[in-house]
Amino acid sequence: MVEMKILMVTACAFGLTACGDYEGVGGGYTSNKSYDGGIDKKHLSQLQAGIWVDPNGCDHWIIDDGIEGYLSARLDKYGKPVCSGVAPPNQTVGDFKGGSNIPDPN
Amino acid sequence: MRGRVILGTDAALSWRNRIGKNAVVNTKSKALRVMASAALAAAVAFQATAADTQTKSQEGRDKGAYIPTIWVDPDGCEHWVMDDGAEGYMTPHTSRQGIPVCRRGNVCGMMNSDQFFATNSYRIHGQGKARLAEFFQNTGAVSYIITGHTDSRASDEYNMRLSYNRANAVAAVAASVGASIADVRGYGERLPAVPNNSAGGMAKNRRVEIICIR
Repeated sequence: MVEMKILMVTACAFGLTACGDYEGVGGGYTSNKSYDGGIDKKHLSQLQAGIWVDPNGCDHWIIDDGIEGYLSARLDKYGKPVCSGVAPPNQTVGDFKGGSNIPDPN
Repeated sequence: MRGRVILGTDAALSWRNRIGKNAVVNTKSKALRVMASAALAAAVAFQATAADTQTKSQEGRDKGAYIPTIWVDPDGCEHWVMDDGAEGYMTPHTSRQGIPVCRRGNVCGMMNSDQFFATNSYRIHGQGKARLAEFFQNTGAVSYIITGHTDSRASDEYNMRLSYNRANAVAAVAASVGASIADVRGYGERLPAVPNNSAGGMAKNRRVEIICIR
């Protein structure tokens, strides 16, 4: 726990996370998880997605938003996975990192 | 939609009806007080249960409550999304039946079966094939999902087969002009667009839907 908090404080110092809503040791964030308060702050409705094709060939929405990652199934109106063939398995399509300026170490 | 039992919804409805009836019938204040205390007791009991299951993950300021917001994907469908400061979470917003909640549809082609097929047939006449070929050539989607549907006459099994055969006939035309097909399905009479209680309604239900994946 202590290590976690040190990490947290360090991350806050670099402005990577939603520290505006963070209340130090013994505090923490509220239950409202609907926005990103880091240096790339935004309401989560503004996230910018691409497609990731899973090993079965089916599409998922992928979002790299700085230090947060999101992945959610792409479904058709009947609730079935959309397997569009837009790219081969494991490949991403679209600028899914475009919504944040925090770079990845790759 | 024969023989389908939606347990969750029915249970929830009957519970709501019961509450509604009580509220209407028992207008005496004593009855209301009894109800209120019962509700309070239920709330206290629920809190006690939640407290019993606490782990380190519920010790923060948020007490383990994660309230999401909605993100709408490029198809127009909703997802639950949360950012707890260092991690992001997302999952599709679906009904209890597993159907996605969407603000718009991606059905880009709605074929009235009567215009393309003879009764009980899944053969598309020449003129229909030409119209379809033109549609697929001009639409230019990444790929297509084609689903066949019937009205409620004839057996469920027969309609499942007929609707699938018709969807396949449409997919064959699409493939013949180089369109990519993501999936072909027959839903028979199980997903009517409108009630089957009139000739007009049944005609609307005899259809092949084309979903465009962009």
